[in-house]
Amino acid sequence: MKFQSIAILVCLTASVVLTTAAQSEEIEQLKTDLIGHTMGGRDKCWKFQSASQIRELTIKNKTENEKNLVYSIHLKLQDSRIPWKYDAEAQVVCEKVNAQRKIRSLGLISLVRSE
Amino acid sequence: MKTNWFLGGILFGFSVLVLLGCTPKPSKQAELGDPLLGLNREQLARFAEGKKVFEREFTPEDGLGPLFNSNACAECHESPVVGGVGDEVEIHASRFVAPDVCDPLFQEGGPVIQQNATPLLQGHGIQKEQIPPSATSQAQRSTPPVFGFGLVDAIPDQAILSYEDPNDKNHDGISGRANRSLDGRLGRFGRKAFVATLFDFNAGAFPAEQGVTTPLSPVEETINGQPVPPDTDPAGDPEISQKEIDQVNDFVRFLAPPPRKFVQEHPEKEQVEQGEKVFKQVHCAACHVPQMKTGPSDIAALDRKPVFLYSDLLLHDMGPDLADICLGLAAPSEFRTELLMGLRFREQFLHDGRAKTVRGAIEQHGGEATKSREAFKALSEKNKEALLKFLGTI
Repeated sequence: MKFQSIAILVCLTASVVLTTAAQSEEIEQLKTDLIGHTMGGRDKCWKFQSASQIRELTIKNKTENEKNLVYSIHLKLQDSRIPWKYDAEAQVVCEKVNAQRKIRSLGLISLVRSE
Repeated sequence: MKTNWFLGGILFGFSVLVLLGCTPKPSKQAELGDPLLGLNREQLARFAEGKKVFEREFTPEDGLGPLFNSNACAECHESPVVGGVGDEVEIHASRFVAPDVCDPLFQEGGPVIQQNATPLLQGHGIQKEQIPPSATSQAQRSTPPVFGFGLVDAIPDQAILSYEDPNDKNHDGISGRANRSLDGRLGRFGRKAFVATLFDFNAGAFPAEQGVTTPLSPVEETINGQPVPPDTDPAGDPEISQKEIDQVNDFVRFLAPPPRKFVQEHPEKEQVEQGEKVFKQVHCAACHVPQMKTGPSDIAALDRKPVFLYSDLLLHDMGPDLADICLGLAAPSEFRTELLMGLRFREQFLHDGRAKTVRGAIEQHGGEATKSREAFKALSEKNKEALLKFLGTI
């Protein structure tokens, strides 16, 4: 009985660790994929020029089908040339191409200056 | 002997005639509103398609609003031809905390405060967006022409930054500095040079001015920070496609600069030449830099071309009388040097259209431009007229 409990605990822990690792990898991949893309426009616009601008990226929601992956993400952004930080919500639509994925569109949902 | 003189005279006369015929003529220019010279067939087609999108009049059913300033790009950018100026003046607002903290008030609907509402939104008792409660100032903005903006877009950053002198190291009283967009890129478009590229400006104009959502901005602008009532937005998002955004960008990008009146052809050539000298003598050219050059481009018509923009694209302190909102790194009294390219086609002057003549605009220059303003006032009437005559050729 004790052995079973320990085994279940180990499995659960391993599952959490692996899931977290997988999500971290996915987040890092998203950060890399975003570079070169622009969201919004005019006064409310962000072009991702380097991963260092993304202070934090959180996946709030993810839906997936055969062809597409759609992420809703929250970002904390700051460029070293500007004194202020920004919180942004965005939608990333990726298409699956040959077992890889490519961003098809990046839409800015909201952007506010962080306090 | 007499024959030699005669032959010599004929040869001399013939040489003069040949030289006159060989005098370099000013190169051909596109007419106002036409595409750049040198575009290929495919680019000309993109220009034509983009013009249709630029002229497209949106309705609430296909995406207009529910808050908006105009129902088409060409509603404002229309005079004397499409791409030109308009008599519309819009409202912007932001929050400034001295000495240098600027909040564009995105969360309260800023900085563009839309002045019109669709009937469905009016049904909710909303006629327009209000000035945000946190705003410390508001601004009026007149419609600028967009002729030649593709060339401006193609000027390398380094060319603009080479004119920066934020600490006035050369002690000429001029201290131009760059503004930067939220993401740190060098700004050049907009009265405060807050927008980095022409594409960013065009893509953002649809949600900001017409309430039309795009793939890059797929959610309606808020009403002072509140989401739009769901029954006021019948069109599905995004309301315009990426293809249409790209088309309209191509139209603006490929719009030719306004044709210049060449001095050597001008009926008052001497006066214009004198005016050009005065322009430099009173140091207008310190900020209204007459010419820059585009960088390498895969579009031949934009590749390493001269741009007679008459602006350094930098921020300058214009004094307290002209001050309004902050934006990005720009303090309320700082404005990007206005492009004088196409000046003679404008109908109102300065950032908010308060000046109805060029002379009136000059006389309201302040801050870093005070010396130039006073130098203008001290000119003889003859030299003032010469300067204005020269400005009438741009």
